[in-house]
Amino acid sequence: MEDFSDIIPKIVEATQEIFTGMVMMEISLDGEPLAEIGTMKNSITGMVGLAGTRKGMLAVHFPNSLALAITTSFLGMEVEEMNEDVQDAIGEIANMLGGNVKTILSDKGRDIQLSLPSTISGEEYTFMSQNEVDQIVLPFKAPAGVFFVELELER
Amino acid sequence: MSSLEKYITEAALEVFASMIFIEITPGAPLTGRDDTIDSNLTSMIGLAGDLRGVLAVHCPEEAAKGITGAMLGMDLDEIDEDVKDAIGEIANMVAGGLKTALLSEGTAIELAIPTTAVGKSIRTSGFTGAFRFIIPFTTPAGDFGIELRYVTS
Repeated sequence: MEDFSDIIPKIVEATQEIFTGMVMMEISLDGEPLAEIGTMKNSITGMVGLAGTRKGMLAVHFPNSLALAITTSFLGMEVEEMNEDVQDAIGEIANMLGGNVKTILSDKGRDIQLSLPSTISGEEYTFMSQNEVDQIVLPFKAPAGVFFVELELER
Repeated sequence: MSSLEKYITEAALEVFASMIFIEITPGAPLTGRDDTIDSNLTSMIGLAGDLRGVLAVHCPEEAAKGITGAMLGMDLDEIDEDVKDAIGEIANMVAGGLKTALLSEGTAIELAIPTTAVGKSIRTSGFTGAFRFIIPFTTPAGDFGIELRYVTS
């Protein structure tokens, strides 16, 4: 099993920095890490792959209502429906957090590269990882709802 | 057909010829902005390096179960761990084929890990500025599509 205890505080810090600095939203950790995320409803997930010395995937899972609030704050304009602006904003948050995770896992992030960010959205979906990975899910609380940051690393 | 479209088509045919043993017919690439393939199961894998991208295998439920059934030689009633593993492995192997083909022309990429989303009418999107195409495939076990979104550095 991957020991996430050293990594967790760094991911929490990186997530808070991105939300404070880029999204202009105060967030905090909301309870203990979870083993898995379960089924997402009316949600959007942004994700980015990690390749190189460590292979994995970083994902951020948001309910639609929170994704709209984040996009509105991030772009500084009212966004009321789940459109391309929301997909780009959520993909960009995954991308920024992936950039931080890269440097957390590898000295200066030299040996790890990021894929293109992408998003998945829908009324109801479940993520299933491959068997050879360890994963951690961190719940966060924002003023407009709860979201999750998930890291999967190949063993 | 662009070289990337050709590499992905060839990699998919190779994977089916070596692992799944059912007929597979590629269609013309879909490149329209609103072109999509209905999906109940999408396996994605990130690509990094000289080309940054995401490769996704989109399967309606029938194709996800049918292709896995052909691969394992058994009938499947629902989308379970076996189906997720099988389609995830197809995504991984097609991406591996693309990596090998790109390397022969001097473009180096590294692969992330496959991840699978299962649900009702799930939608995927990428970064708005990225290039994108979908290759549709027809098989006796159902139709599916392989999508590539990418930017070159």
